[in-house]
Amino acid sequence: MSDTVETATAAPGTPPEKTPAPAGALERLRRPRTYLWLVGSVLLLAFPFYLDRFWLQAGLFAMAAAIGAIGINLLTGATGQLSMGHAFFLAVGAYSYCVLAGESSTENGHALTGLGLPTWLAAILAVLLAGVAGGVFSPIAGRLRGAYLGIATLALIFIGQHVLFNAGSLTGGFNGRPVPPLSVFGFTFDDTEVLVAAVPFQSSEKLWYVALLALLLSGLFARGVLRGRPGRALNAIRDHRIAAGVMGVPVARYRAGVFVLSSMYAGLAGVLLALVFQRTVPEYFGMILSLEYLAMIVIGGLGSVAGAVVGAAFVSLMPQVLTHYSDSLPLVSAPGTGGLAPGEASRYLYGAAVVAVVLFLPGGLTRLKKPGEKK
Amino acid sequence: MKLRVIPAVCAALTLTLVGCSGKAADNSGDKQDKSGVKTGEGVSASTITLGALTDMTGVYASLGKSVTQAQQLWAKQTNAAGGICDRKVALTVRDHGYDPQKAIAAYTELEPDVLGFTQFIGSPFVAAVEQRIDTQDKGLVLPQAWSANLLGSEYVRVIGATYDVETINMIDYLLAEKRIAEGDKVGHVYFEGDYGENALTGSEYAAEQAGLTIVEQKIKPTDNDMTAQVSALKQAGVKAVVISAGPRQAASLVGVAAATGFDVPVIGNNSAFAPQLLKTQAGPALLKDYYIASSTLPIGDPAAGPAKLAKEYAAQYPKDGLDNGVVAGYSAASVYGEALKKACEAKELTREGVDKALLTLTAYDHGFGITHDFSDPAAPSTRQSAIMKPDAAAPGGLKVVRPAAAAPAAESFTVK
Amino acid sequence: MTTFIELLLGGLSIGSVYALIALGFVVIFKATEVVNFAHASLLLAGGYVTAVLHDDIGFWPALGVGIAGAAVVGAGVEFFVMRRYRGSDHSVLAIVTIGVDIILVTELTRRMGTDVMALGDPWGDDVVTIGGVTLAETRIAAFLVAGLLITVFLLAFRFTSWGVSMRAAAENPQTAALMGIKLGRVSLSAWAVAGALAAVAALFLTVFPTPGLERATSLAALKAFPAAILGGLDSTTGALAGGLIVGVTESLATGYQSDLSFLGRGIGDLAPYLVMVIVLLVRPAGLFGTKELARV
Repeated sequence: MSDTVETATAAPGTPPEKTPAPAGALERLRRPRTYLWLVGSVLLLAFPFYLDRFWLQAGLFAMAAAIGAIGINLLTGATGQLSMGHAFFLAVGAYSYCVLAGESSTENGHALTGLGLPTWLAAILAVLLAGVAGGVFSPIAGRLRGAYLGIATLALIFIGQHVLFNAGSLTGGFNGRPVPPLSVFGFTFDDTEVLVAAVPFQSSEKLWYVALLALLLSGLFARGVLRGRPGRALNAIRDHRIAAGVMGVPVARYRAGVFVLSSMYAGLAGVLLALVFQRTVPEYFGMILSLEYLAMIVIGGLGSVAGAVVGAAFVSLMPQVLTHYSDSLPLVSAPGTGGLAPGEASRYLYGAAVVAVVLFLPGGLTRLKKPGEKK
Repeated sequence: MKLRVIPAVCAALTLTLVGCSGKAADNSGDKQDKSGVKTGEGVSASTITLGALTDMTGVYASLGKSVTQAQQLWAKQTNAAGGICDRKVALTVRDHGYDPQKAIAAYTELEPDVLGFTQFIGSPFVAAVEQRIDTQDKGLVLPQAWSANLLGSEYVRVIGATYDVETINMIDYLLAEKRIAEGDKVGHVYFEGDYGENALTGSEYAAEQAGLTIVEQKIKPTDNDMTAQVSALKQAGVKAVVISAGPRQAASLVGVAAATGFDVPVIGNNSAFAPQLLKTQAGPALLKDYYIASSTLPIGDPAAGPAKLAKEYAAQYPKDGLDNGVVAGYSAASVYGEALKKACEAKELTREGVDKALLTLTAYDHGFGITHDFSDPAAPSTRQSAIMKPDAAAPGGLKVVRPAAAAPAAESFTVK
Repeated sequence: MTTFIELLLGGLSIGSVYALIALGFVVIFKATEVVNFAHASLLLAGGYVTAVLHDDIGFWPALGVGIAGAAVVGAGVEFFVMRRYRGSDHSVLAIVTIGVDIILVTELTRRMGTDVMALGDPWGDDVVTIGGVTLAETRIAAFLVAGLLITVFLLAFRFTSWGVSMRAAAENPQTAALMGIKLGRVSLSAWAVAGALAAVAALFLTVFPTPGLERATSLAALKAFPAAILGGLDSTTGALAGGLIVGVTESLATGYQSDLSFLGRGIGDLAPYLVMVIVLLVRPAGLFGTKELARV
């Protein structure tokens, strides 16, 4: 899906001063960028009418991952704070949504607590709660830097998983809990079929537009943050914390703020993922997931919205593509026949991509054209 | 201006293009072939396609590999014998590496093209798609897990005794052998998650019936060193230990207990043994006083079913070892095959037809020592377990010490 | 009481193995300021070589080759990957090591398949019993070896020219380079040493009471993260202290889990991280770490 989008969204990486400020409508029509955007948007909007559920689901995973990756890119990419606890905040978002929106019920011997709030409200509150969780951790985050922060946030993963497995009445324990489908203005994003132009719309098709909207809004917001005053302050903190402080940037406040903001992005990604999964399982929110998010932003490009989106698409779509076409790819063979399994092939590729991008394309995939970026 | 143009163009394009979308609803429901057999998803004129969602690169890799290869062997044999319903059986395998996202994606990918699934490893993932299976897809899924939480669905069917029932049988064996008696303490080392917790339900019930006390030790799948657990159990003065964990934990537990002179019998669920362990340091201790319960005969049993399978599997995969995953995979595939044959006889080779056919199997013996009754989705297909003991000479490393039987407490236990 | 002593000793001995792994982190961090997330794969590499060779050439030579092999892998990672990075952001380098780890672990687990490999050590499952307290011989060996190696490193850092150049490189790379210290050589040797230490740790992690080397062994390396941080990432003493604290905490929390059940069962794995967070709240640079002072 993302070829066109990648190139299209790559543009925000361009520093604003290069763009002639008041570009007229005609001017815009002459630039290829406009058309790429146009084709990309049309394709994205039309996908649910053509792709089957498997690809839509893969796309939904990628879009949710992109939102999460934007969040960690604000923190790790733009502000230089290594976080390995991103999966924890995803879990907070996903499970908060389930608890807030779900009804109390008994399942597999666990009495599940649910508040039964309207689902749209639950989704918003879940994002806020993820932010609160980030805020609660910020006294620790504020004191630590670099590697210390990275490994301290690793503790969040282990604490989070322990809670997810043990707080059965909230989380449903090992087998997780069902996710109530989102419902806005009486329209429910569940598996009941709705015919749109003769195409049956089920949850994946319906959620596609929700995810697209969520991704667009979060991308625009993050771009606003990064391009404005806060973004410059964050970059200053990354490049030289003390100098930034001396120049009057309220370092502590910005660091806490960006931690909370990044957690909220993770929370939103968590809510979306929960809606796509239709069930939250604690197994998912482990360290591997956190590492994947770090890999995404490195592969795509640190510190930019486009980088996060491209990286997320790469990391989450590649295994699906390899598995799906394992029969027709050289070297890769279907599981059970010996040879390189698609699962292994995609792990090699993704490990190699992280290494290769850092060594040969220091700006990530989105900055192919400008390798000489200032440090 | 641009902003207004784009949606308009999109809408126009979408509407014109939708006409040729392959997804547009067409009412091509079930078809009938020339011999009057109704067919549906996954069944063409020449092939029945079945899916297998396995783990060959993650934590359950050794189980997944054996189960999958055994099922591929079954498909090959079935086809060599003429197939089912004049059709070849094809198995589409997806390896999810025990990753929830990949597992869900693999299910979504295969679901439209297969009749059902002969294998689904990872009970959290089964739970994740269970609602979809029950309300929309309705294909028969045979998970490779024995948690009682999976019971109750008409479409997700567990083959064999669930962990709770199995654990009751295990404690019954210890009682019958006079290794423990009323008033004794019994240690239970179990995994977090529904395997361990389901087994714990069973041991608690058995303890209540027999007047025992259970001393719990919960562990994680990443714990490989059971020294601290053994110390604690020794301190508590337990007379026997039940282990509901993986093979590595069992080996460590038995090894440490033996080395520190803590001589108590240890008995594990079917997942708590792998033949590779007999070659490790814990080998001698495992051979001495360790037992395993399972709902099938071990692969090394001299009975006709396992012996034949062992020979054929070894011929097909000479490099790979024999273990109980082979039996589990093969018997699951045989049950599936039996349901397919019944469905064919009833001229309904559809998902619905297969589900109905399985419900009619009330006394199915697939040649591995236990008779299964699939008529009640809410009950395990059997309440019997065979008890076995490691044996270095037997292929697969296990021999039977008590043939399949159901303890009275296992009969009286109400599942969930 | 016996149980307490047994748990304590068990914790100390496994803790000393964690200390060995943590020492590897510390050596790399001291020399290059990079957190090495690829440590788990070095560990697996060392263990794998030993496990494959011990049948043919005997245990001690196999262990020697295993240690050398892991050192070569470590040096290879430094030479082919870390050295090629032109930027200066250490977080990015840390993420690169994650990529390296994924590649190496995938390759090694693919080779291992589903085996549980024995390392052929001479201790077997022998135990020593003193006054009712039993301890596995492997664990005593682990404790002694770890103690010895850590002492050697403490002295080496202080008194050899290699140690001095490493400390200088850690202090201020530019100045060190100007003083004629070859930074490349320092960092190469640090990676090789870390690999060798990881191979030794792999031995003790996979012998009795654990069943053997298999794909999940690399997860044990994760326990060394809190150990290294607890003690302070740039402190050798810290690695030892951190390792022991993690080992003892884990062992006691597991042994007494019935008394801690209000926290949820299976708290043993989590306890080291909780201790770590508490220590970091009080001392952000760990127990023995150098507080960073910045000159502007």
